[in-house]
Amino acid sequence: MEFPYGKVPLAMLIVSLLSGLFLLISGRESTRERPDLVLAIFARQHAVAYVPAIAEFEKEYGVRVQLQVVSARALQSRLQASLQVGAEVPDMVELLDGTMGTFTKGPLEDVGFLDLTDRLKNEGLWHKIVESRYTKWSSRGRLFAIPHDVHPVMLVYRKDLVDELGIDVSQLTTWDAFTRVGREKVVKDLDGDGVADRYMLDLQSSGGDLRTLILQRGGGLFDPEGNVRFDDEISAQTIVWYIKQLEGADRIAYTAGWGQTLASAMKDGLVLFYFCPDWRVKQFMIDIPSMSGKLGLMPLPAWEEGGRRTSTWGGTGLAITKQCKNPDLAWKLAMHLYYQPDRLGKLYRNSYILPPLKSAWQEPEFSIREPFFGNIPMGETFAALGNEIPAETVSPFTAQASAKLQEVFANAREYYRTHGDEGLLNFVREDLKRTADSVRRMIDRNRFIKTTEARP
Amino acid sequence: MNTLQLTLLCLVGLFVLLLPFSRRLAGSYARYTVLTLVGIVMLLPFAWLISAAFKDPAVLNEYMLLPPPGQISSKTVNLENFSELLSEKQTIQGPVSFWRYVANSLFLASTATFLTVVFSSMGGYALAKYQFRGRGPMMAFMLASMTIPGVVLLAPNFEIIWRLGWMDTYRALLIPGCVSVFGVFLYRQAMLSVPDELLEAGRIDGCSEFRIYLTLVMPLVRPMTAAYCLISFLGAWNSFLAPNIFLQTQRKLPLPVILNQYIGEYDQQYGVFLAGTLLAIIPPAILFLILQREFISGLTSGAVKQ
Amino acid sequence: MKPRRSAWFFLTPYLLVTGVFFAYPLVYATILAFYQTSGPKHRVFVGLENFTFVLTDPDFFRAVRNTVLFALASICLQLPLSLGMALLLNSKSDRTKAFFRLAIFAPNLVGQVFVGILFTMLFTPRYGMFNQLLHRLFGVGLEQDWLSEPSLVMPAVVIASLWLYVGFNMIYFLAALQNVDQSLIDAARIDGAGPSGIFWNVTRPAITPIATFVVVTSTIGSFQLFELPYILLRGTWGPNNSGLTVVGYLYQNAFEAGDLGTAAAIGWLLTFMILIIGIVQVRLSGTMRRDA
Repeated sequence: MEFPYGKVPLAMLIVSLLSGLFLLISGRESTRERPDLVLAIFARQHAVAYVPAIAEFEKEYGVRVQLQVVSARALQSRLQASLQVGAEVPDMVELLDGTMGTFTKGPLEDVGFLDLTDRLKNEGLWHKIVESRYTKWSSRGRLFAIPHDVHPVMLVYRKDLVDELGIDVSQLTTWDAFTRVGREKVVKDLDGDGVADRYMLDLQSSGGDLRTLILQRGGGLFDPEGNVRFDDEISAQTIVWYIKQLEGADRIAYTAGWGQTLASAMKDGLVLFYFCPDWRVKQFMIDIPSMSGKLGLMPLPAWEEGGRRTSTWGGTGLAITKQCKNPDLAWKLAMHLYYQPDRLGKLYRNSYILPPLKSAWQEPEFSIREPFFGNIPMGETFAALGNEIPAETVSPFTAQASAKLQEVFANAREYYRTHGDEGLLNFVREDLKRTADSVRRMIDRNRFIKTTEARP
Repeated sequence: MNTLQLTLLCLVGLFVLLLPFSRRLAGSYARYTVLTLVGIVMLLPFAWLISAAFKDPAVLNEYMLLPPPGQISSKTVNLENFSELLSEKQTIQGPVSFWRYVANSLFLASTATFLTVVFSSMGGYALAKYQFRGRGPMMAFMLASMTIPGVVLLAPNFEIIWRLGWMDTYRALLIPGCVSVFGVFLYRQAMLSVPDELLEAGRIDGCSEFRIYLTLVMPLVRPMTAAYCLISFLGAWNSFLAPNIFLQTQRKLPLPVILNQYIGEYDQQYGVFLAGTLLAIIPPAILFLILQREFISGLTSGAVKQ
Repeated sequence: MKPRRSAWFFLTPYLLVTGVFFAYPLVYATILAFYQTSGPKHRVFVGLENFTFVLTDPDFFRAVRNTVLFALASICLQLPLSLGMALLLNSKSDRTKAFFRLAIFAPNLVGQVFVGILFTMLFTPRYGMFNQLLHRLFGVGLEQDWLSEPSLVMPAVVIASLWLYVGFNMIYFLAALQNVDQSLIDAARIDGAGPSGIFWNVTRPAITPIATFVVVTSTIGSFQLFELPYILLRGTWGPNNSGLTVVGYLYQNAFEAGDLGTAAAIGWLLTFMILIIGIVQVRLSGTMRRDA
């Protein structure tokens, strides 16, 4: 008899049965019993380092640990949804920079993660870790995730081209000096088609580098108490500076983008200087092998002579969820992965990401010289800035505030295009005030922090 | 002026030249030219996709499409993206090969398609061929429910899926989507044209109601079924949001989620992503080529009747 | 006989699935819209505050504006293009037809996620194919950063969606055109009607029902736009939220900020908008009212 639904559904049924059978046969493994710990992370490079470390840990403690690699956005939405409805979550999760706030909107007892403050203190590690990293992972003074990194920011540059142009980077101690040299010596239309094809600095045209620069200057989105502060003079001045580097006759910056596009810009010598947090080091080495030996690193120019020569960009933290059945074991794994000086040395060679445990910086791997970057000791170079990085306070409204800051930037850029310099600073100040007030209104709307804070 | 601009100008010029001689010829010339240009615009991203998939990651941005013949070598054009894509990846649940994800996607898309054909046609049949109290309100409810975007209910659904214990299982994807209101309506419209006498004849022959539906009515709406299969398969094959939220274990993920992982927060492997996309197009493309004719005639019998 | 019971038998799968995965969540979302939640344990009744917040949030209006713009673009650009392509492809015997049909439909084989990522690459300043083509054709736009320029983000989304959807709706129009009675066309031709006369007097009335259907579903689809800009803009919704859609705004609140109450309120406002627009459209065309 013919299949009543016709050939196509029949074909679908056959494909479904065949592939189902294949999955059934090859899928046996997944039916094993639940592992003792489940760790969810979002960075594939971390997985490379964790797989052997976890194997070691499993052997030492006779337990089974499952590692899940999930995309950052999927991890955030799954965690958020699960914690909101009380569904099951992994025992341990790595969180992306700035997201901790979204989990700490309610009273402290509702935070889905364990308070790790005392555990870290009891471990005797509190003061051995770069303390400015705690704010990113805390709420109301309690630490809910331990910092994985420091992420100091430097500038990476095309050393060959910079030398050719006769630029002495040791003179570029302030942004003023930097932009002046850029205008005078670097920005040029080389092929004469009316479009400049060599720029000094890579700046994201979305305003994405504003936060890094504002932090360097001592500003930020929130003050340490969690109050909105981004409508201050530091932000206003930085926005104006940023716009002028990207627009108009005096521009020195170009948006090189990400990934392959960035690689092309660097190879073509389209842009000479790029922001380089430590996590970008390895990426450059992998993405653009042809740049080996042609790059140099320098600290950020300061905002004023003698000022801070670095900032911070990004970060990861490790949290243990309250649903974790065996928090002590989870804590041991956290310590095993994050804060063992000898392991950190080995990890550093593979990742070039500076760990926050300061004693680890003495390990020999931190003074290895890297030929890719002209034989400089990478670890020592970044560690020298490690203690100076600015602290950033994370609030439940960091994402909104950050979006507002970029909104002001976009408005101001538009203003600059139509009105020019005249009145720009005032426009920025007013727009910052307006948007900051809207974030303040959002904060006032939160019933939980206020009501519980008032309770004894 | 460059060659590209010149070509366009010539094409327009030819039309103007043809017009005084024969309107018919000019019209047919214009038709083909427009179709060809649109065809090129539509296919150009594919040409880019194919060439980018075969280019070495280091030269992805170097040439608009493939490098000029003189510069083609194993350094610029190679299978590196594919070998990276197809190599077994070590995960904590053991090594997983790319073909596993292909099988996942095939299973999800074909099962979803089959289920929705069966259950949606049943619903459509009930609405088309039975008079019963509540039919009017029911249809109004269905129409209204089409206006509510799935994301609105995603958070409550997340809780239900979790309470049912379906987290990280294919049930979470297949069961909530096994009846589509859109499908119910397509089938209802198609089945309205099935004569009631046929059903009566079946009843007199002693067929059960389900048999009438299965053996008398369904064969009559096969063109529509084929078209609906294609639409459902495309939707299921490319679905991203739900699997991204409900599935957790790496080895269970379907292709769109896997390929999206190559575009990470900190590192992007565009070449590998494109190579994977190229492979992922093959099954729906085959289906479309086979079903092209049914697709169009089938929709006519559904959609909105004259 | 028992036709009445049979009807319910055939509807059982639909009723079950709808009851569990639609009706219950809907009721749940309705209740949530009046609460502020903090995890599963704590919730505070806030009355209409979620609604008043959303209705005074500039981002909501930006999202509505973007969504409406997108819907208008789909109806004013995409549907005429689809219809035009369908008319061009509607000749009887033509070997090239199948090829062009495939070419124009092909983007649908790839899906929104792929299209999103593909177009982030095509829109890359200086190196992206789109920019290079613009530059070679018109000598402009090489350095244009489509996805970082607030005023260009929505146009970029529209361009990507045109590429994706023109072919899909073309298929509906092709289906409709095949239903046009050839004898009527012949009769009109004998009466001396030109191509435009035939289109207006014979073809147009015949395809109106499907056109209405396509307009309504495209509008609903436009109002539910989410994945394409989400992927295209890498989850950032563009500078200044210039690519934020209403569903994106909802997703932001629910899954990024974990504010289920506000998200539910947005969901209701969105549903309300779609319902009104859908009803207006159907009333205007007056074709879907017939009931068999």
